[in-house]
Amino acid sequence: MGVADPAAIATPEAISPLREAWTVYRRNVPAVFGTLLLVAIILFVLYGTFIYKGDPYEIVWAPQTPPGTEATVPLGTDNLGRDILRGLLKGGGPTLAVGAAAAIITLVIGISLGGVAGYFGGWIDDLLMRVTEFFQVLPALLFAMVVITLFSPSTITTAIAIGVVLWPQTARLTRAEFLKIRELEYVTAARSIGARNGRIMWKVILPNALPPLIVSATLTVGVAILFQAGLSFLGLDDPNTMSWGLMIGTNRQYILDAWWPVTFPGIAIFLTVFAVSLVGDGLNDAFNPKLRER
Amino acid sequence: MGPTAYIARRLAYGVILLIGVLVLNFFLIHAAPGDPAETIAGAMGGATARMLADIRSAYGLDKPLLTQLAIYLGRVAHGDLGMSYYFNQPVIDLIAARVGPTILLVLAAQVIAITAGVAMGVFAARKPSGPLSAFVAVLSTVGYAAPVFWTGIMLVILFASIIPIFPVEGMTSARFSGGFVAHIGDVLYHLALPAFTLAIIFLAQYSRLSRASMIDVLGADYVRTARAKGLSETKVVFKHALRNAVLPIITVAGIQFGNLISGALLVESVFNWPGMGRLAFDSVLRRDYPTLLGILFFAALMVVVANLLTDLSYRFADPRIRTGGR
Amino acid sequence: MNVGTPEPLLSIRGLKVEFSTRHGKVTALDGIDLDLMPGETLGVVGESGCGKSITALATMGLIPDPPGRIAGGHVLFDGEDITRADPRRLRSLRGADISMIFQEPMTSLNPVFTAGDQIAEAIMLHQSAGKAEADRMAVELLRTVGIPEPERRSRSYPHELSGGMRQRVMIAMAISCRPRILIADEPTTALDVTVQAQIFDLMRDIQRQFSVAIMLITHDMGAIAEMADRVAVMYAGRIVEKGTADEILDHPLHPYTRGLIGCIPVLGKEAGEEGRMPPLAEIPGIVPPLHLLGRGCAFADRCPLAFDRCRAESPALEGGAHKVACFAAEMEAA
Repeated sequence: MGVADPAAIATPEAISPLREAWTVYRRNVPAVFGTLLLVAIILFVLYGTFIYKGDPYEIVWAPQTPPGTEATVPLGTDNLGRDILRGLLKGGGPTLAVGAAAAIITLVIGISLGGVAGYFGGWIDDLLMRVTEFFQVLPALLFAMVVITLFSPSTITTAIAIGVVLWPQTARLTRAEFLKIRELEYVTAARSIGARNGRIMWKVILPNALPPLIVSATLTVGVAILFQAGLSFLGLDDPNTMSWGLMIGTNRQYILDAWWPVTFPGIAIFLTVFAVSLVGDGLNDAFNPKLRER
Repeated sequence: MGPTAYIARRLAYGVILLIGVLVLNFFLIHAAPGDPAETIAGAMGGATARMLADIRSAYGLDKPLLTQLAIYLGRVAHGDLGMSYYFNQPVIDLIAARVGPTILLVLAAQVIAITAGVAMGVFAARKPSGPLSAFVAVLSTVGYAAPVFWTGIMLVILFASIIPIFPVEGMTSARFSGGFVAHIGDVLYHLALPAFTLAIIFLAQYSRLSRASMIDVLGADYVRTARAKGLSETKVVFKHALRNAVLPIITVAGIQFGNLISGALLVESVFNWPGMGRLAFDSVLRRDYPTLLGILFFAALMVVVANLLTDLSYRFADPRIRTGGR
Repeated sequence: MNVGTPEPLLSIRGLKVEFSTRHGKVTALDGIDLDLMPGETLGVVGESGCGKSITALATMGLIPDPPGRIAGGHVLFDGEDITRADPRRLRSLRGADISMIFQEPMTSLNPVFTAGDQIAEAIMLHQSAGKAEADRMAVELLRTVGIPEPERRSRSYPHELSGGMRQRVMIAMAISCRPRILIADEPTTALDVTVQAQIFDLMRDIQRQFSVAIMLITHDMGAIAEMADRVAVMYAGRIVEKGTADEILDHPLHPYTRGLIGCIPVLGKEAGEEGRMPPLAEIPGIVPPLHLLGRGCAFADRCPLAFDRCRAESPALEGGAHKVACFAAEMEAA
C-alpha cells in the first residue's frame, strides 16, 4: 500500500552478506545470550569433570539427600545415593555428542537427497520426494525405537537412529533451495563453461544454499538432543552410558519422594536446547534481515 | 479434479504408503542381525525349537525373499499382523485394545494446542510488540526446548503433591462406580494433564505461527477492503482475517500428527496412560518385534488418515484449492 | 449562502498526517486543502509516495494508527468532521456514504468468500436487509456493473474472475449502499488498456446514474484527461498545483505537472507551443524519502528550473482559481 514506502528506502551499504549477518547477530540480545549459554554448557561438560572429579555411578552418600544439605554433594543424591552433579557433568557429553552426530547424519542424508532431487528435477525429484514423504509418515520417535531395538542399543546406534528419522525435513528444505538457485544466472554461467553436474551442485549451488541450511542444522541439533534424551529416558539408549535422559528415566519412580534427581537433568536438557534454539533463531534473523520486523 | 476423484487418488496414495511401511518392516526384520525366526520369536531366549519351526513355516522363511514378502503382505491384508510370542496374543488384538486411548490423547492435545495457540496468536497479532506477543515469543522457544517427558514429570510433581486437583496416573479411577456419562467424565478428568502436557509443544508452535500469519493477513488488501466497508473490528479480524490466517495452521497441524504420536509415546509412559506407547515400550523391552512393527504400521496408518483429513479440510477451507486454480 | 457556489460535499482543510518510522517522525501530508463538489470528479495526481493514497485513507478514517496519526486539520463530510468522529460513527459512514475502490483488484477481494457474499455483506451491514434480500441485491448490482451471468458470477470466488471482473465486483461493492462519495485509488492501474477504458466508462455511468462524487487518485495524466473535472497535483505530501482539468492539462504551471503530462504516451498535445516549456519526456529522479526533506521546495532537486530560492524556502500554493506552488511559475507569470 505504499504508506511507509518513502521511509523504507534503506541506505545501501557495500558490505559482504556474512559480515552483515554477523553485525545483525551481534546486536541480537537473545542470540548472544544463547551463544554464551551454549558455550558455558559445552565448557561445563568438557572440563567440569576435571574440576569436580568422580564416578557418577559410585554411591557416595545417603540416598535421596536433598540439594544444598551436604557440602560433598551440592546437588544432592539420587535414589541410590549417587552424586547428581557428577551425573550432570558426565551425562552431558553423550547427550551433546549424540545430538551433534545425529544432526550431521541428518544433514548428510538430507542435503544429498534433497540436493539431487532439487538439481535434477523430473522423475528423480518425484521419486526422491515420494521417498521423503514416506519417511515422514513414520512417527520419528517410534521409528527410532524400532531401529535401536533391532540393532543393539549403543551410543552409535542411537545417533544413527536419530539421524535416520530426522532427515526428511532437511531434504525438503535443500530441495527447495536447490530448485530456486539452479535457475539463477551464475548457475547457467557455470553450466555454459562446461562444469560438471557434481561440481555445480556442491561447489556452486550448495554454498549459496547454506544460510537456511545452517539455521536448520542448528535447530536439528536441538531436536536430536531432545530425541536422545527421550530415548534414554525410555531406557533405550546404552544403560552403561550416563546421560541426562537416563538420569531422569532411572529416577522417575521416586519423583514424589525426591524431586531433585529428575529436575536438575531436565533443566540441563532444557537449557541446552533453549540455547541452541536461541542461536538458531538468531542465525535465522541474521540471514533474513527482512523478517526481523516480526 | 472433482472431489470424488481427488479423494480416490489420495486414498490410493495412502494405501501405497502403507504398503511401503509393510515392505520396510519386512526388510527391517531381515536386516536385523541373526536368524529372522528368532527375531520374530523375540530374543528373550525362551523360543523352543518347536516355536521356531512354526514361525518358519508360517512366514515361509525357507522360501525365496520375494515369496516371503508376498506371504507377509498377504497375511497383513487378511488382518493378521502376526503373533506376539511374549504376550501370546495376536498383535492386532493387542493393538486394538490400546489404539483408542492413544487416539484420544493425540486428538485432545491437538484440539487444545490449535484452539489455544490460534487464540493467543490472534490476540498477539493485534499488538505485534505488546506483552502477549512477547509471551508468545518466549513460549515458543520454551515449549520447543523443554523435553515433553520432563514437563510431564514436573506436572506430576506439581499436581500430585502441591495442588492435587488432577489425577496424575492412568485413564480411570481404580475404585469407580457410576454410569456411562460419569465414566466419560472420569476419563476426561484423567486426560487433562497428559493432553495438556503433550499440547504444550504444539501450542507453542501454533501460537507463533498464527501470530505471524495473522500479522501478514491483517496487512492484506482485502482486510483494508473489509474495513472500508464499515465492518466492525471484530468482524474484520474474526471473519475476514482469521479465515485466511488459519490456512497455514491447517497445513502445519497436519504435518505435526506424526510428531504428536511420537510425543504421545513419552507422555503415555509418564502418566501411565494405557495406550500404544506403553505397548511399544513393553515390546521394546521384551524384544517383541511383531508387536513393535505392528505398532509402527498402525502409527503410520494414523498419520496417513490424519493427512488425508487435513488435505480435505484444507480443500474445504481454501476455495482456491477446491475449485482448482490459483 | 451563496447560490452560485454550492457547498462542497467533502472539504479537507489543512490536513496534516504524520507517520513514525525508524527514521523518526515523518510528515506524510503537510497541510492539504481539497474540496469535492457533489457529483463532480476530482483528480488527485502524483507519483507513488506523494501522499495521494494517504489523503484517501484519511478521508475514510483508515489511517493505520500506529504508526500513522492525524496531526492537524479537518476532513469535513457534509459539515461533519471525520477526524473527530468516534469509531462507530466512522464505520457507519464507511461503505455507506463514502466508499472506496482500490488499486489491486487481485488482492483487494477476500479469496475465501464469494463475490456475492462480499457485496451482500456491505448491504446487510448498512441497509438492515436480510440475507436473501441482500443476495438478490448483490446479483442486481453485478448486473449493473456489467458482469455477464450475474447469478452464476455472484457464487464465484475471486480467483475465478478476471482482473477486470474483480474490479467490477469492487465497484459493485462500493456503490451497493448508494454512497455520496466514491474514492477510486488507482482503479485501473493493474488492468490492461482495453479493460481500463471499460472501467472508466463504467465509472462515468455509475456517476450519472447515482450522482456520486468521485475522487480519482492516479499517477496517470491520461486517466485525468479522461475522467476529471478538477485536478489537484500532489508532490511529497503537498498540493503543488490545483485547477480545472482543462487549465491543468492545457496550461500546466508547475514544472512537475508538465513532467507528468510529458509522461502521457498519446495525448496529441504539440510540444513546444509558444511560451511553454518543452515537456519533459520523463522526470529525472524519484520522489525524495520524506525524512530527507529539507527546507526548500521538495521538487527542487529534480526541477530543471530550480534556482537558489527554491532550495532555501518552500513556495506556498497561490493564485486564483488555478493555483500553483512554484517560484519559477510565479516569475514566469509576472
